[in-house]
Amino acid sequence: MNNALTVSGLTKMYRDFTLDNVSFSVPSGSVVGLIGENGAGKSTTVNAVLGLIQKEAGQVSILGREELDDDIKEQIGVVFDGSNYPEILSPGKINRIMKNIYRSWEEQTYYSLLKRLSLPADKPIKQFSKGMKMKLAICAALSHHSKFLILDEATSGLDPVVRDDILDMLLDFVQDEEHSILVSSHITSDLEKIADYIVFIHEGKVVFSKAKDELTEQYGILKCGAAQFDALDKSDSIVYRKMDYEWQVLISDRQEMQKKYPKAMIVPATIDEIMLLYVKGEK
Amino acid sequence: MKGILLKDMYIAKSNILVTVVSLVVLGFGLSFLLETSALLVLAPVASTTAVFISITSDAGSKWNKNVITMPVSRSQIIGGKYFFYLILAVQGIIAALIPCGILALFGMDITIQSLCLYGAIGMSATLLAGGISLPCAYLFDPEKSQIVFMMSFMASTGMIVALVFLINVFIRVKDNILVAFYIVFAVAALCFFISYKIAVKVYQKRDII
Repeated sequence: MNNALTVSGLTKMYRDFTLDNVSFSVPSGSVVGLIGENGAGKSTTVNAVLGLIQKEAGQVSILGREELDDDIKEQIGVVFDGSNYPEILSPGKINRIMKNIYRSWEEQTYYSLLKRLSLPADKPIKQFSKGMKMKLAICAALSHHSKFLILDEATSGLDPVVRDDILDMLLDFVQDEEHSILVSSHITSDLEKIADYIVFIHEGKVVFSKAKDELTEQYGILKCGAAQFDALDKSDSIVYRKMDYEWQVLISDRQEMQKKYPKAMIVPATIDEIMLLYVKGEK
Repeated sequence: MKGILLKDMYIAKSNILVTVVSLVVLGFGLSFLLETSALLVLAPVASTTAVFISITSDAGSKWNKNVITMPVSRSQIIGGKYFFYLILAVQGIIAALIPCGILALFGMDITIQSLCLYGAIGMSATLLAGGISLPCAYLFDPEKSQIVFMMSFMASTGMIVALVFLINVFIRVKDNILVAFYIVFAVAALCFFISYKIAVKVYQKRDII
């Protein structure tokens, strides 16, 4: 399978933070969710992938090319948190600007997307709500034959209805198997809806990169008391966390564990819970 | 680069209109007090303030980050801003020439020599000020770019005076005033070009977040 994005050994050092040897890939035709708490390194990863910041080490290959030249940029749609267009502009003016920037700009596609999302073409962006600004940014990202979409915290701060609209657009986009998406977000419920793979970054390092189905269908949380916890084979535990009245143990195969510990209460784990246990738990 | 220039034009449109109208009105008003062609000293500098409105707007809206993900190189981004600055300076000169031309038609004494002299002084000051303030606005805090511009304009005036004194060592400026200011203009244009090259080089390596 070809990869839309391959990141290997990506390293970027700041005075108080290091993105450390990050490696993962986005297979063509898939949606990959990049998760992690605020400050974990998601945006630094996205910025390094897009060439916004200089990396200290590592390779980034987008759509099979290591050089992020204009041909590759034509095929990438990027959406950041906020519209990132000067607020004095209107969607109509953005169309005229983009026509002169992207060789492959599709005016008809852009206007039909604006219409579909009920965005006025002649109103300045400053009169738009945050949700409208995000929708506009997605319209622009989808109007130049993009094969690969990169969204950095694009759904943060939006209400559930707008988020759902945006997720539907992303699912439509990825119906074409040549299209792929990398979504960085700390709203894991969005990623549970659309992602095929989850890459979890914590303190600048990739903790895991797994298929979402593996996480939701196989991973589980074993809940037990202190005595039961002491009796557990520690190699079965990925991480554990002591709560007020119980121990929570993250396990990678809940059916296997249920057989091994028939009296234990094992429940499926959401991505949010997995993330929390990794961040707050112990090994 | 055309798309970036168009975006700058949209942002600075109202400011450009106000400046052009003000310069034309000021030109007619000045004719009662002093030589109208002296407006050419002020016009290009006044016109180029619009570029700093666009720089501040780019920073405020995070357009700088967005545009780098588009098929536009970093040198084109910087080149676009320098080119926009030049367009505004020339547009200022043209706006100032309108009252000069009309008043000349009505018989006012406006010579080609005075137009060339004041035009050369105005463009020299503008290019020197832009050569200092444009890289500063990109490399430091864009929010303070308009203050930097005011300060760089003062610095450019000092540089022009220093250049005139230097030229006076080789040729008598009083007798060759036009030639002297053509040399100042050529030096200013060279400084502007060098400033562009430096800004491109530094911006290539800069992290945009």
